[in-house]
Amino acid sequence: MDSITKIKTENLELFYGEVQALKNINLDIKEKEVTALIGPSGCGKSTFLKTINRMNDLIVGCKINGKVIFDDIDIYGQDIDIITLRKKIGMVFQKPNPFKMSIYDNIAYGPRIHGVKKKSSLDEIVEKSLRKAFIWDEVKDRLKTNALSLSGGQQQRLCIARALAVDPEVVLMDEPTSALDPISTLKIEDLISELKKNYTIIIVTHNMQQGARISDRTAFFLSGEVIEYDLTDTIFTNPKNPKTEEYITGRFG
Amino acid sequence: MKKKLDKLAELLFITSAIICVLALLLIMIFIFYKGAPSILETGVFKFLFGVEWQPRAEVFGILPMITASVLVTIGAILIGAPVGVLTATFIVYLAPKRIGNILKTATDVLASIPSVIYGFFGLMIIIPFIDRFLAGGAGGNSILAAIIILSIMILPTVISISESSMREVDISYRDASLALGATKISTIFKVMIPSAFSGIMAAVILGVGRALGEAMAVILVSGNAPFMPDSILAPVRTMSANIALEMGYASGAHQEALFGTGVVLFVFIFIINFIFYIVKHKGGVKN
Amino acid sequence: MKKKFSAICILISVSLLLVGCGSANTSDKTVSVVGSSSVAPLAEYESENFLRVDKAIEVDVQSVGSSSGIKAAIDGTANIGMSSRNLSEEEAKELKEVVIALDGIAVVVNPNNKVKNLTKDELLAIYQGKIRNWKDVGGDDAPIVVISREEGSGTRGAFEEITGLEIEKNDKKYTTVFSRAIITDGNGSVKQNIALKKNGIGYISVGSVDDSVKSVAVDGVLPTEETIKAGEYLISRPFLLLTKGDPTPEAQAFIDFILSDEGQKLVKEHNYITVN
Ligand SMILES: Nc1ncnc2c1ncn2[C@@H]1O[C@H](COP(=O)(O)OP(=O)(O)OP(=O)(O)O)[C@@H](O)[C@H]1O
Ligand SMILES: [Mg+2]
Repeated sequence: MDSITKIKTENLELFYGEVQALKNINLDIKEKEVTALIGPSGCGKSTFLKTINRMNDLIVGCKINGKVIFDDIDIYGQDIDIITLRKKIGMVFQKPNPFKMSIYDNIAYGPRIHGVKKKSSLDEIVEKSLRKAFIWDEVKDRLKTNALSLSGGQQQRLCIARALAVDPEVVLMDEPTSALDPISTLKIEDLISELKKNYTIIIVTHNMQQGARISDRTAFFLSGEVIEYDLTDTIFTNPKNPKTEEYITGRFG
Repeated sequence: MKKKLDKLAELLFITSAIICVLALLLIMIFIFYKGAPSILETGVFKFLFGVEWQPRAEVFGILPMITASVLVTIGAILIGAPVGVLTATFIVYLAPKRIGNILKTATDVLASIPSVIYGFFGLMIIIPFIDRFLAGGAGGNSILAAIIILSIMILPTVISISESSMREVDISYRDASLALGATKISTIFKVMIPSAFSGIMAAVILGVGRALGEAMAVILVSGNAPFMPDSILAPVRTMSANIALEMGYASGAHQEALFGTGVVLFVFIFIINFIFYIVKHKGGVKN
Repeated sequence: MKKKFSAICILISVSLLLVGCGSANTSDKTVSVVGSSSVAPLAEYESENFLRVDKAIEVDVQSVGSSSGIKAAIDGTANIGMSSRNLSEEEAKELKEVVIALDGIAVVVNPNNKVKNLTKDELLAIYQGKIRNWKDVGGDDAPIVVISREEGSGTRGAFEEITGLEIEKNDKKYTTVFSRAIITDGNGSVKQNIALKKNGIGYISVGSVDDSVKSVAVDGVLPTEETIKAGEYLISRPFLLLTKGDPTPEAQAFIDFILSDEGQKLVKEHNYITVN
């Protein structure tokens, strides 16, 4: 536990109207590691993930208490520029969702809204991002074709490339492989392990093996609470909480 | 037994479909049958590009009407399309649910108002306004009045169709864009609206059809002068207005010339529908 | 589903049309009266009252315009044709006509307009677009907004014919109303336009004049019952009933009723001028 803390939550609580979806969450997420969030459906994993890039702001009646500290700054504090925050914390969704535009424009979208105009810079970013997402070779000859013509697995890697194009520090992934076939899933897992060198990654997964394979640390969520948070090895081999063990061994929900 | 019923149902569907197509064909044949001879008699060129409309003397030139239809329709689209699309955008992405619902209800009501009421409103409110403040007392029945009324009349079409096409856009596009650090507004204009582009185009094109075909309201506000317009405040007569205005009294060659006007209008509408078809069918994947 | 529904609608409307056509065949006791939209409301009103006199005869009034009415009388599709304009020589040869009322066409302006009188020539020049400012005819310095009726309207036909706005060239009739004039359909619509436009000028049946507009004198004569009956007012027209040869007994009965004191009282109620 000597790595640097990238994100830290303190007594984080979240309400959807009257319903409490997160209870007293205290997590230390380490830089350049993969942190997996596991737990049964509806336990608040996605909700937690979205507190980190403030995507919950969109939801009417959503109230948040406590702190989320990112690089020593409380992102729910005053004077926080959400745009800069989201530029630093990218997100990849469960269902691949490339925009209805060309592959090139999908990747260039983020840099463009953040003010990159020069064609040569954009070209460079596009190629670099696609390479990082291991999809460059597959699409380099058809950058101008519509992104929706790609396969599901390619689309998801494109979405990862799109998130990387704005040069984030953290990448949030909400079940990024659940809509994909096993081969695409493996490709994305490899990609995640590769990205870890440069990015802090938080991934929600329902796939226990996946969690075990790619993550350094794992948090087990249950009914809006973190039941156990530890090194992945520890969680999977020697959980301290019996509920964690129940869940991991599949005797749960 | 069940098979027989199935067969019967199938027969019913096919018959209905045939009746539909037949109705369209019949209308087309009827209009061309009644109108084409008149155009040919006058001469296609003289009919389309003649500027004089003198039914009693059997002089039929409809260039003023064609010009009026085109100008009025373009004007109505230039105002109605952006306002309609922006309203739809507001309803779908920006307005609180309650306000969105109020707006949608308002749109539905707007759609159900008979066109003669629009015309009446134009006659009583818009024309006097133009007369007093813009035309210096020289009338008010004008291209401008027709444009204003028509741009209001096409709003429901534009709003409801662009609204539903915007709703079809995957909401996760919005999340993806926001998560990249885009603002709400740039998300709407750079991702959501472009994704709904083909639907929005369809909405606009249907609006064009509506504006081109409207007669009742236009008659009340446009002034109906068969005159080559020289300003936006000039009175004009559109093709639809020409037909609706004079058909009641017309007989003989005059009546045929009105059908001839109908043929030209039909060709315009047909072209619009053709564009609609193209946009709709290539719209699926837009690059 | 939608398509099927519309197909059903078409079927229904087609069958209604057929039914409609069927009932249009005139039975013995029906008198069909077809033509001028100016005469039709009067004829309709007369027929409602005629019903009280003779229940057995049914009068069916259709407003289709003078020209169509004349045509219907000539080709026998109507028992009686209605016209609000004098017949052409050719038409007159084929038809018998009865004058049931007189209608003057009033030249009307906005009540606030200073102008009280126009000569026939001024009126012509205004409608031909040669005079375009009220100051040239004794009014304020303001543009003249000329309002006319749609092509084919009986009132327009009468107005143009009587004032000489209609000219004949090579056997063809041309209108000289300038093409920039606002065209509107119906007396009511003309009135509305005039009432709303302080610089408007239009023409309507004397019977429809009310406070919303002001009649101007033409060549010094205001359109009144006396001036029209006396033939002093320039722009007036007859309301004609037309038959091909002698009317059927039922048609004759209806015509007689209109010409009776009771019938003429109804004419007066409609603000038209009686003929006795
Ligand atoms: N927009 C919302 N409004 C109200 N309640 C919500 C909203 N989104 C989620 N919830 C509720 O909050 C709780 C947590 O939801 P969340 O989506 O975070 O679960 P999850 O752990 O991601 O589940 P899954 O594994 O099925 O994705 C659930 O009870 C859910 O019903
Ligand atoms: Mg989830």
